[in-house]
Amino acid sequence: MLTQSQIDAIAEAVIQSMKPAPAPEEKRRMHRTTEIKKDRPVEASEVVPMDASFMMEKSPAERVSQKNGLADNEGLIDITSPEVKAIPLLDHVEDREGLERMIARTPARIGVGNCGPRLKTRTMLTLRADHAAARDAVFMDVSQELLDRMNLFTVATRCMDKTQFLTRPDLGRIFPPEGLETIKSKCVHDIDVQIYVSDGLSSTAVEANLENILPIIIEGLKAKGLKVGTPFFVKNGRVAAMDQISEALNATVTCVLLGERPGLATAESMSAYIAYKATVGMPEARRTVVSNIHSRGIPAVEAGAYIVDVIQKILEAKASGVELKK
Amino acid sequence: MSEESTILSVGIDIGTSTTQVIFSRLTFKNSAGYFAVPHIAIVDKEVVYKSNIHMTPLKNRVMIDGEKVRNIVAEEFRKSGYKPTDTQTGAVIITGESARKENSEIVLRELSDFAGEFVVSTAGPDLEAIIAGKGSGARQYSIDNQCTVANLDIGGGTTNVVLFDAGEVIAKGCVDIGGRLVKVTSDGRVEYISDSVLKMTASDGLSLNIGDEAQYTKIYRIGEIMAELLYRWLCREDDRLLASITTPGSSQFKFHKPIRAICFSGGVADCIYHPAEGSWMRYGDMGVVLGEAIRASRLFSDFRVIEAKETIRATVVGAGSYTTSVSGSTITYNRDVFPLKNIPVLKLSDEEQQVCFSGQTGDLAEKLRWMQRQSDSKQLILAMKGKPNPSYMEVKRLAACLVSVLDALLPEGQPMLIVLECDMAKALGQMMMQLPTVHPRDVICIDSVQVDQNDFVDMGKPLVDGLVIPVVVKTLIFG
Repeated sequence: MLTQSQIDAIAEAVIQSMKPAPAPEEKRRMHRTTEIKKDRPVEASEVVPMDASFMMEKSPAERVSQKNGLADNEGLIDITSPEVKAIPLLDHVEDREGLERMIARTPARIGVGNCGPRLKTRTMLTLRADHAAARDAVFMDVSQELLDRMNLFTVATRCMDKTQFLTRPDLGRIFPPEGLETIKSKCVHDIDVQIYVSDGLSSTAVEANLENILPIIIEGLKAKGLKVGTPFFVKNGRVAAMDQISEALNATVTCVLLGERPGLATAESMSAYIAYKATVGMPEARRTVVSNIHSRGIPAVEAGAYIVDVIQKILEAKASGVELKK
Repeated sequence: MSEESTILSVGIDIGTSTTQVIFSRLTFKNSAGYFAVPHIAIVDKEVVYKSNIHMTPLKNRVMIDGEKVRNIVAEEFRKSGYKPTDTQTGAVIITGESARKENSEIVLRELSDFAGEFVVSTAGPDLEAIIAGKGSGARQYSIDNQCTVANLDIGGGTTNVVLFDAGEVIAKGCVDIGGRLVKVTSDGRVEYISDSVLKMTASDGLSLNIGDEAQYTKIYRIGEIMAELLYRWLCREDDRLLASITTPGSSQFKFHKPIRAICFSGGVADCIYHPAEGSWMRYGDMGVVLGEAIRASRLFSDFRVIEAKETIRATVVGAGSYTTSVSGSTITYNRDVFPLKNIPVLKLSDEEQQVCFSGQTGDLAEKLRWMQRQSDSKQLILAMKGKPNPSYMEVKRLAACLVSVLDALLPEGQPMLIVLECDMAKALGQMMMQLPTVHPRDVICIDSVQVDQNDFVDMGKPLVDGLVIPVVVKTLIFG
């Protein structure tokens, strides 16, 4: 037989288990402190302000989930966000602050600890999430919305789709006759500088940087009294597609803003390849490149201003690439 | 295309007890790869000439004899083989008890032939601590090892301490502890006892009077008390005696992290690191004994002590080699108007900057007028943090705001000078140049430089193919 006190204890336990779940905000806070901060030996007071900032600034994943109305994602954290990656997973850190500083200086996955001979689950998941972002960057298209806003028309290379673009680099460098015709008919010819945009291997990079980089380059060049061609967008384009464009429009300098092959560090990196009197079949060494244009590299708008100077230098030296450096 | 530039920098330190001159060669180099945007940094600081250590010529206890200082500096220039025109940058630092306005004016007048192009500044105790900590190598150690390092610059009259954490200054302070606080005559009698030493002897029950025979055991006991006080200071212990000997005008040495290593500089440091044979009275003061006492104290047994790169010359090397920094590598200037000297800074707060980014001009105009009433300089630098990854529209609005206000309020012909922390100066400067102005104006816009309200800034001739300009930020200046 159960005694009265045992019955009371059972009843109490049942009531406890039936209490409503915590409110979403509270849940998120619990989630964060238990999941991410569990190996952080700090006072509770230090945890709260950080959580507050997390709640105010929604991660990209959260924004996406809101847009799609996926209520299920409520309370989920974006493990690929810089804030989350900044937290060391290593146990028993001798100098935690020192490790955090080192982590802040490199996109490499340091201070992640291990579980026996393997990575921790979180590290593994982050790697896969970053890889997924990289794949998305390659396979997604640049949105028509952005191209309309920037007033760019689209010309495709000989590649029929992304799969062909990846497997046939040669086709990503040339245009079908009708594509070349479009370029010739819609663009100004005989210009000092032709600028165009291409997805390359990362549409994400174009989405992230284009609006901040293109206008400053065009304005800067015009302010220097240069004749700037009509900008447009090349779909499924490789770098060397600029050679055919340069020939078709008789451009002195051609500059393509192109999404770089995404890595696991960032999928938003853009480069500018610039060549003086580019011709089909010319050596790659004749291209000047400004790389690492993204929020954690050189900011897009600053890169744009720098590119204006580089183009001016190329025009003065009448040379680009390795020849410019001589 | 030159990827490397060097400039010659001179450092002159006029302290309470010694005057020194050094020359150092600073090398600026592009450290970025071939395919990246250039990144120019100071890659080497080589001290190419060190003067003898002269006693500072004084007219009375505190006033510098300007003419004699001038002779010392002229002689050192001659011995080094450099002409005043060879130096592109540098600093004259007046430290310790000599750091007062009258002395600064004397030095400025007497050294104008040499120092026409230099920084002349009187270092208060705080600045002196930081300069010495850079010169001793303590700061570099804290960067290389990503740890906290305290540098104790123990001179004649004071000990200046600075705590670096991975290169950042997190605390600084100064107490009246030094090697010349007890002076002895050549026949072994006590000649001078400072107020701070009297406080120490009183609290310890030790009897020491001017004219007494200078007994080693008594002087050593004072050294022990000083070492123990320094130890307690570093351990953040409250101590009434310590509080009573804090140098007026210095900061409270407060911090919230354990000290991982300590380093000594200043005249007494040599006696700490390299105890030498000979009479303890050989310098006519208690410096040698203080060195011995520190070496035997808990400072040595409880802390990791690192070797200083410079000891007695730490401050002058700091002044000569570490006062010049370099701008970001993507900057704007429409023509070479350099060097610019002693430009006062108007610094915008984060909120004020945000208002400018949104394109509103009202607050900025008001602040600029206020600054113009405060300062007699026609030129001024408008400084702000900037944004790490600004959008095109933000920069465009900011450019329009700055040009409209600066063009309206700056006197005719004065350049628009902008200093930012975030990498955006080329974009902002380029947009500013495209905007029309009533008067023709130069635009100079640089980044990666941190300045504060009340700072003064020098900008040197462009280096490394014109990509960067050397910058000296002065926190304190008279003249």
